[in-house]
Amino acid sequence: MLRASILRARPAVRSIAPAVSPQWRVARRFFADEKKPTTETAVPEPAPLTTPSNPSPGDNAISQSDIPKPPPAPRTGRSAPVEQPATTPPTGPGFASVASDPKPAKPKKRRFRRFLIQLFILSALGYAGGVYYSLVSDNFHDFFTEYIPFGEDAVGYFEEREFRKRFPGRAGQPRLHPQVTGESKVTIPSKHGLTSRVAEENGSDLAAKGPHVSALGDSKPKASTPKSKDEPKVASKTPAKGAQEKKQEEARKEKPIESTSHDLLPKDKAEPKKEAPAPVPAAPAAPSTPIKPIDHLNVPAAGEPIVQDVVKILNDIITVINSDSAGSRYNSALDKAKSELGKVVSDINLLKENLQKSAEDSIKSAHSEFDAAAKELVRRLEMQMQDQETHWKEEYENERERLSQIYKEKLQSELDAAQKVYEQRLKNELLEQSISLQRSFTSSVRDRVEAERDGRLGKLNELSSSVHELEELTAEWNSVVDANLKTQHLVVAVEAVKSALENQVTPQPFITELSALKEIAADDPVVGAAIASINPAAYQRGIPNSAQLIDRFRRVAQEVRKAALLPEDAGVTSHLASLAMSKVLFKKSGLAVGQDVEAVLARAEVLLEEGDLDGAAREMNGLQGWAKVLSKDWLSECRRVLEVKQALDVIATEARLQSLLVE
Amino acid sequence: MADDSSKPGAPIPRTTRPMSEALLNEKWDRCFSSMLIRSGLGLSFGIVFSVLLFKRRAWPAYVGLGFGAGRAWEECDNSFKRAAAPSKDGLRVIRP
Repeated sequence: MLRASILRARPAVRSIAPAVSPQWRVARRFFADEKKPTTETAVPEPAPLTTPSNPSPGDNAISQSDIPKPPPAPRTGRSAPVEQPATTPPTGPGFASVASDPKPAKPKKRRFRRFLIQLFILSALGYAGGVYYSLVSDNFHDFFTEYIPFGEDAVGYFEEREFRKRFPGRAGQPRLHPQVTGESKVTIPSKHGLTSRVAEENGSDLAAKGPHVSALGDSKPKASTPKSKDEPKVASKTPAKGAQEKKQEEARKEKPIESTSHDLLPKDKAEPKKEAPAPVPAAPAAPSTPIKPIDHLNVPAAGEPIVQDVVKILNDIITVINSDSAGSRYNSALDKAKSELGKVVSDINLLKENLQKSAEDSIKSAHSEFDAAAKELVRRLEMQMQDQETHWKEEYENERERLSQIYKEKLQSELDAAQKVYEQRLKNELLEQSISLQRSFTSSVRDRVEAERDGRLGKLNELSSSVHELEELTAEWNSVVDANLKTQHLVVAVEAVKSALENQVTPQPFITELSALKEIAADDPVVGAAIASINPAAYQRGIPNSAQLIDRFRRVAQEVRKAALLPEDAGVTSHLASLAMSKVLFKKSGLAVGQDVEAVLARAEVLLEEGDLDGAAREMNGLQGWAKVLSKDWLSECRRVLEVKQALDVIATEARLQSLLVE
Repeated sequence: MADDSSKPGAPIPRTTRPMSEALLNEKWDRCFSSMLIRSGLGLSFGIVFSVLLFKRRAWPAYVGLGFGAGRAWEECDNSFKRAAAPSKDGLRVIRP
């Protein structure tokens, strides 16, 4: 960004520079910025190093000044004077020596050789001291750079070196270099020798432009000064030719000498200008000089068309007069006219000169103003640039700082995130590893267990099968045992009922026993049927045991015997008779044969005593008439008892059957 | 156990229906009692009649006794005869 701005800024400066540069180069000695871009960079940089030697500055200066003009002409012109290299000493930077050279060299070389050497050494030392002191003191610096030839150059060189040493980074672009080069090229000659003189001649210029400007500015005034000098000479050539010519020659001789030492440029400039008009007078002067009393008018400034016309007319007149050979007559008048014309011409020239001068002055002032303005502009631009530069630098630094901060933060956050992710991944990997390890462990364990099972533990299968068989067996046996228990319970219940029936004193109900029996034989249909066959009155009222039955049979048998002899439909009398007769009746005993009541009773009694209740009941059932009526209750009781007994027998056999059926 | 439960229920049914072997004895008891009552009633009626009507003569008293004893006899004989046949109590007798 910064770079771009600078690059942008530079072309602007450049664009300004080339536009003005040609004039500056003529008029002024500095503007390094402009020169650097226009001239090759290679040339100015070595220049400060080479400047100390005499000819190089001269060359530079001349080349600079010649830019407006076509290059070959000035070179030839400059090369023309051969005295220059001869006059300048081959070594040493001293300009003082150069300055002092011609003066002592001319008078006596031999005698003052030692003195010269001393002087040279002294001057060199002084110069060096001056340079050093100018580096130290500002006041002296000003003085030194202004009034000592090549002082600024030398000081600038040292300052440049110091600057480079201090800022090695900017070594490429010397800050003071342009100034130095400009001075070396242009200023030095003008300043030293000619400034003072020219300042006296055209003080207004110097006053207006200052000492620096004068260096370049002098070149033109100088160019003009010889002209002005020449013109009066030319103008006054006719009246005092020889003196004038002599003077001119002297001036010419003197000027080169001075100019070579101090200012090469003005001399060069002056010479062509001088020489240009010189031939003009020479050409017409030649014919005039030999015989003719009346010369052709010769005007040095014949460039002016009007003047030329006038001169031509006059010359025509003169030729006419000459042809008439009446020159003597018009001589005075013509001379007068000539002088008048010369005056007029000189006046015109003067006027022109003045005009030119004023124009030049105005141009110079304009130039100076322009230069100042440009300088100001450049300075302002530079200031602005610097300000901008600093501003941008600050901004750039801030921006960079901010960006770096942001990037750091970003980086930090990214790093954190990456760290987290990495940790998470690591954890995951660890988990996966642990899982895989566990898996492998389990698989290995399984494998080993399988192997074990195949080997030693393979027998477990047989064992388990045997155990299974055992379990089945036990289950079977359990069922058997259960059934046994069931049957046992059944038997026990039956036994309980039986015992209850046997052991009772009086007939008592045995519902509880029977219900228990029924519960035990829960789903046995046989038991259920057996129990159902029992008359409910039996278990509700109870049944007598065998002893009671026999006891009751005896009482019933007595009554039956009373009514044994009763006929059918017997009345009171028959009853009384049978009652009375039965008392005397013989009793039968044992298994008596016969169907009479007494025999039946005897058999029944025997059967009862034997325990054959069924048989007894059957015997008793065979009775008829009043006997049967009387024994009816006993018979029913007998039947009930028999029913119960039968049911119990059935249940017992069922239980036995069950126990037998188990297996 | 059995004793506890059987005790309350045992004597209850006896009262309702006499035992079969005691049938005849019962009839005899009734005969004798009715004989006494009826002969005594006849005697007493005869005595009253003899006093009131027959001027204290002896024979109305005997006649009365005879009537009473005869009636009791008849009743007793009837009961014995009916009892021999199977009882038709509660049975509907259809006569032609």
